[in-house]
Amino acid sequence: MKQHVMGIDFGSTTAKTVILDLKGRMVASRVSHMGAVSGDGVKDSVAGALEDAGLTQADIGRTVSTGYGRRMLDIADKNFTEITCHARGAVSMVPDARLVIDIGGQDSKVISVDSNGLVAQFAMNDRCAAGTGKFLEALARAMEVQLDDMGDIALEATQTLKISSMCATFAETEVISLLAEGQTKPDVLGAVHAAIAARTLGLVGRVGKKGPVVMTGGVARNPAAVHHIEKALGMPLILPETPQIAGALGAALIALDDYRAEHKLAISEADDDAMDRQMAEDKACIPGCKGVPGSMVVEPALPAKGKLGRLLGAIQNNL
Amino acid sequence: MNISVPHDKRANKLKSTRIAGKLVNDYWQMVWRAKEEGKLICWYEGSAINPFLEAADICWVHGEAYSAMLAARHQEVKAQQAAEERGYMKELCSYARTHLGCAVSNQRTRNDTDTGIAFGPEDDDLSAKLPPPDMIISAYAYCSTGQQWDEMTSRVFGKKIPIFNVSLPWIWGAKKDAGYLRGQEWEETSRYVERQLYDMVKFIEERTGKPYPWDRLRAMMADIRRASELRLEAMELCTNTPAPASFFDWVVSIAPINNLPVDGVVQYFETVLAEVKARVAAGEGAVPTEKYRLFFDGIMNWNKVGWLAEKFARYDANVVAGRYTHMAFWQEPSLINPQDPVLGMAQNYLICPNNHASPILIDLIMGLCEKFKVDGMVIHASRTCRAFTNPQFLIADAAHKRLGLQTSMFEGDVTDESFYKDELLNSRVEAMFEAIDSRRLLV
Repeated sequence: MKQHVMGIDFGSTTAKTVILDLKGRMVASRVSHMGAVSGDGVKDSVAGALEDAGLTQADIGRTVSTGYGRRMLDIADKNFTEITCHARGAVSMVPDARLVIDIGGQDSKVISVDSNGLVAQFAMNDRCAAGTGKFLEALARAMEVQLDDMGDIALEATQTLKISSMCATFAETEVISLLAEGQTKPDVLGAVHAAIAARTLGLVGRVGKKGPVVMTGGVARNPAAVHHIEKALGMPLILPETPQIAGALGAALIALDDYRAEHKLAISEADDDAMDRQMAEDKACIPGCKGVPGSMVVEPALPAKGKLGRLLGAIQNNL
Repeated sequence: MNISVPHDKRANKLKSTRIAGKLVNDYWQMVWRAKEEGKLICWYEGSAINPFLEAADICWVHGEAYSAMLAARHQEVKAQQAAEERGYMKELCSYARTHLGCAVSNQRTRNDTDTGIAFGPEDDDLSAKLPPPDMIISAYAYCSTGQQWDEMTSRVFGKKIPIFNVSLPWIWGAKKDAGYLRGQEWEETSRYVERQLYDMVKFIEERTGKPYPWDRLRAMMADIRRASELRLEAMELCTNTPAPASFFDWVVSIAPINNLPVDGVVQYFETVLAEVKARVAAGEGAVPTEKYRLFFDGIMNWNKVGWLAEKFARYDANVVAGRYTHMAFWQEPSLINPQDPVLGMAQNYLICPNNHASPILIDLIMGLCEKFKVDGMVIHASRTCRAFTNPQFLIADAAHKRLGLQTSMFEGDVTDESFYKDELLNSRVEAMFEAIDSRRLLV
């Protein structure tokens, strides 16, 4: 039996890989930018995670993939949709979460989660790239700013402008017009992020607003997006430390469940040896037994004093 | 992957529906010949007024049916391009755009406006083969585009074609006694439409120059009533598990009940019912393995009928009922009195599923979901048919809150394939199946 499982999120702009041990502890994760066609990014992500964990692919007991490229991966044993994987990953990061907002490169999704951590309902952008990471990428290019700097610049906005088009292409035209009118980059970028928040609010409305709300996906690292979505929702967003890997983590957790279920009657040689050592230390009679507790050891009853006691003592000694 | 998609699994379509394909072909052949045979031609959209026309020996051209036929044969693009060249934008209802493209193509290729006989450089170019109309009748419930579409058609033909309008009011359902097929509003609206249909018959008499043959209409409506009863009986048998037929079989069976010549419609549905009964007896389902039962909300993507049937079969999903098939097309046969059919015809036109206020519509859909014991709902949001998509968020919400159903929405279109993205459907539908599976494990 192998000791690790892997989850891979093969997205449109980045590839994410997470490796867990069989106790569910994360031993490595890697995010790589990618060319969707070449698949170089996903190869880099997997290789990097394996290297960080000091493993090879042969050490991985189960691999589950998710994301738009999930079916393209030969190394994946199974694949699941982003909805299932993001919900699973987000709930493991924030166990009491009831709503997951995930804005990735190609789609944005809002997932309502029930008290069992299962998907209750979900909504995704249906028609275009509106409100996704691609939308931000296109506008970053139009405004000649780095994608990673967009959020901080947008937070410097001093006036409220409006981007009315949610089509990435037409929004780009609007942005260029606003800049041509002399509007500042922070103000225009503030409007761009407010537009994303408005779109997200529409998706939230479809599944029902409830909290706590956790935000995952690459856009969760953008402070202006977080600010505007919080403002639109009127609720705080909980941000995991590594929001980008939620889908890969969910995939890895599903892989872990699957691998454990398949091997629930199997025991590795190392585990068997460890169990032997533990039983010896515990003076245990069966695995899991911690030996006979002191409180359960019954000392022989002391002979009662006096004639009757002595008599009983003599009888016991002679028996 | 968790959701199994083996490519060797095929939809087990009803064999009898192949007859529908033949009937459709025969009908359009008849239409293409109609002008040469000296028949009067009426173009119409929306409600099934064709029995009124057929009884009067007028050849009828149903716009949506022609567009759907072109899309099903993947020959719709040429007509759509012709419409766009004329100025009809891509967001316009693609049924209308395709049909208007046919009108434009017809005008371009007509050699002689006096005879109106169409010809084209390519005989297989179906976009130019429709005979031009001698009259237009507009009788569209709910859809505002439908009414404007007829006006647009008239303009394409130089505003020389006489038009008759039948107004089918929206059923608000707001009065205290309102409900499905009941209440003061229902009674008054029914009578209002009935009166207009009698006026429409006078318009037909003016065009033909002959007294209207009421006996023929009565006979036809007796057949339609019987065919509808047979169709509903066959649909009802799909409450069985596995369901013997799917939504896609009923989609293929729309043309016979809705717009083909009435002669033969009873036999068609007798054949369908017999096959469905045989399947129930044999425990044979419409998909090889029925793991999920679904409701389909939305109008059909006509260029994807077979494609979607196969896709859902591969997912072990049987789409057992739908708004488009189960809530339309003479779905209330008991309203039709063959001896005096006009009122019942008016009422069946009024209960086009889009023509109800949302509370009534949603109650009807929830009733079907319960009756057919569905596990989830797949929703097709048609990009250019807002009439159908308007209430879909409300429907999804009700399905989730009232019945605990998972729903999944994808975008497509009635006849414009460019709005359909396969991966978007795959992701959303697979996510729905995964959610259904996880709940089953929990139970």
